[in-house]
Amino acid sequence: MIARTTIERGLLWGTGAFLLSVPWLIPALADRFWVNVIAEILIWSLFASSVNLLFGYVGLLSFGQALFFGFGMYGVAIGVEKLGLGFWPALGLGVAAPVAMAFVAGVFAVRLTWHYFAIITVVFSLIFYFLALTMKPLTGGDDGISFTLPSTFRFGASEWGFAQEAFQYLFILFTVAACLYAMRRLLGSPLGKAFMAIRDNDVRASLIGLNVYWLRLIAFVIAGFLAGLSGALFAFFGRYASATYMFYHVSGEAVVWTIVGGAGTLLGPLVGTSLFIVIREVVSTHWQHHSLIVGAVAILIVIYAPRGVVGLWRDLLDRWSAPKS
Amino acid sequence: MSPSSAGRAAEPILRIEGLTKRFGGLTAVDRVTLAFAPRRLHAIIGPNGAGKTTLFNLISGFLPSDEGRVFFAGQEISRLRPHRISRLGISRTLQVKSVFQQLTVSENLWITAQAKRGVMNPFRSTSSYRDTCEKVERVLEQLELTRLADRQAGTLSYGDVALLEIGMAIAADPRLLLLDEPICGMSPAETERTVVKIRELAQTIDIVIIEHDMEVVFEIADDITVMAQGAILASGSPKEIAANEEVREAYLGRPEDEDYTEEPARA
Ligand SMILES: Nc1ncnc2c1ncn2[C@@H]1O[C@H](COP(=O)(O)OP(=O)(O)OP(=O)(O)O)[C@@H](O)[C@H]1O
Ligand SMILES: [Mg+2]
Repeated sequence: MIARTTIERGLLWGTGAFLLSVPWLIPALADRFWVNVIAEILIWSLFASSVNLLFGYVGLLSFGQALFFGFGMYGVAIGVEKLGLGFWPALGLGVAAPVAMAFVAGVFAVRLTWHYFAIITVVFSLIFYFLALTMKPLTGGDDGISFTLPSTFRFGASEWGFAQEAFQYLFILFTVAACLYAMRRLLGSPLGKAFMAIRDNDVRASLIGLNVYWLRLIAFVIAGFLAGLSGALFAFFGRYASATYMFYHVSGEAVVWTIVGGAGTLLGPLVGTSLFIVIREVVSTHWQHHSLIVGAVAILIVIYAPRGVVGLWRDLLDRWSAPKS
Repeated sequence: MSPSSAGRAAEPILRIEGLTKRFGGLTAVDRVTLAFAPRRLHAIIGPNGAGKTTLFNLISGFLPSDEGRVFFAGQEISRLRPHRISRLGISRTLQVKSVFQQLTVSENLWITAQAKRGVMNPFRSTSSYRDTCEKVERVLEQLELTRLADRQAGTLSYGDVALLEIGMAIAADPRLLLLDEPICGMSPAETERTVVKIRELAQTIDIVIIEHDMEVVFEIADDITVMAQGAILASGSPKEIAANEEVREAYLGRPEDEDYTEEPARA
């Protein structure tokens, strides 16, 4: 009998190899628009990972992560279009702005838990959503800001940038993979264990000497970083920023993707995001009410697999490979 | 009363002065003044609702007191937050057993042992903390939990959770251990084993134990404090308590209260 971990490792290597070969494999086998769909899945799964870090590992359900996604987008767009920054400084701004915002919002939000926490995260993102709509000169309001892509690397006469589809895809892939790897390290570290202790029992956590408030704030800022970085990537990917991405509807989708994929598992958000975006892309071309299918799948999984697709998969494999007694 | 240098050895590990806690109209802890001498095993007994758990909650900073002060090894801790008090060296178990359900038994112990030493490193693997891992191994052996090391705490039997609670309390290397009904819910065999462990622990750690099982209390305690209706009814050696008329009337000598029928006053 093969152990679950062996099967999972094989699957992981397979997926990694597939993702690496996408820019060449997809155009050879299918419509090349799928390269960009997969790039988008990667960006959104990074966004969902920020929900996962908070909900799956610290026990805080945030419905406001779109705020940091939006700050990431605007950091990049304003940096390039209004401040004339190059790729890297604009990316830096697109990460620094959401991290700073997450710190400020977190100072207030992590005092609360459960629905109070969820509500205050929604309130924060709504405030800035409406601010962004009204501050037209800076944000472009409803229309958003479009910008011209700066190049990422330049060696003499040759330039590399998001204008090249393969480069864009690989840049996104490596960034997302690096973040997931860092998150994996984090989960095996003292900080990660402290997060999980707080998730399981915050009262007990403070009794053993953990500073629950401070640790939750750190988690909130790290999650702000992940959401912000995904927003910054998405801005470069779409060459624009818009307030619509700050609406809590966007946060809510990431919560659904995370829970369906499996909150509290590293790759759950990737699985959930892939599932929903693929359903959307396949079905929406044939049928405009594709959100009905999305809703039905979400409800079925939440009822029959409370630990998400990844949890279901692990249970099945464990049962299958368990020694028969 | 003041801790003179000559009296340092005898300075109480825990000193409580006029501690009071009210919940609305109910005075759960009523002007309690107590001093626990070091190197002795103290038991607090008293009927349900006497205020024993509330007293622990006040000591550990879990609830704010309305009046009074608490000193731990001479240092005032009355207004400190729970994690600060715990870092000073007071560990406690909860009456309603609570561990980290989704972590394994050894992870539960690991995070408890490491909590005071710093958990902010996001990159170093937990298995590379040699001191903490050794501590975990020692506690696992000490409490005979090694066979359950990799089990998720949420899947343990009630008795094993109670043992893990004690393990977590000692993994933090406390100077003072507050045990709130540690053997509640254990089988007779588990109880016997645990009592032996608590006695062993008392060799090196100061322990205050709340317990309803009188047989156990009179077996292990050096000093007993009796609480009733928030106040202290009596305090003394097991012999003195067993002979105390007031205590027998108010508490021990109520055969209709089945919890306390094994009262030692009869023995
Ligand atoms: N957080 C609270 N809010 C309101 N009342 C409380 C609270 N905690 C305890 N009480 C009340 O205070 C009184 C003392 O409770 P406490 O839990 O300290 O008793 P105890 O001596 O530990 O009893 P037991 O032996 O049943 O554990 C009880 O009447 C209880 O209902
Ligand atoms: Mg109690």
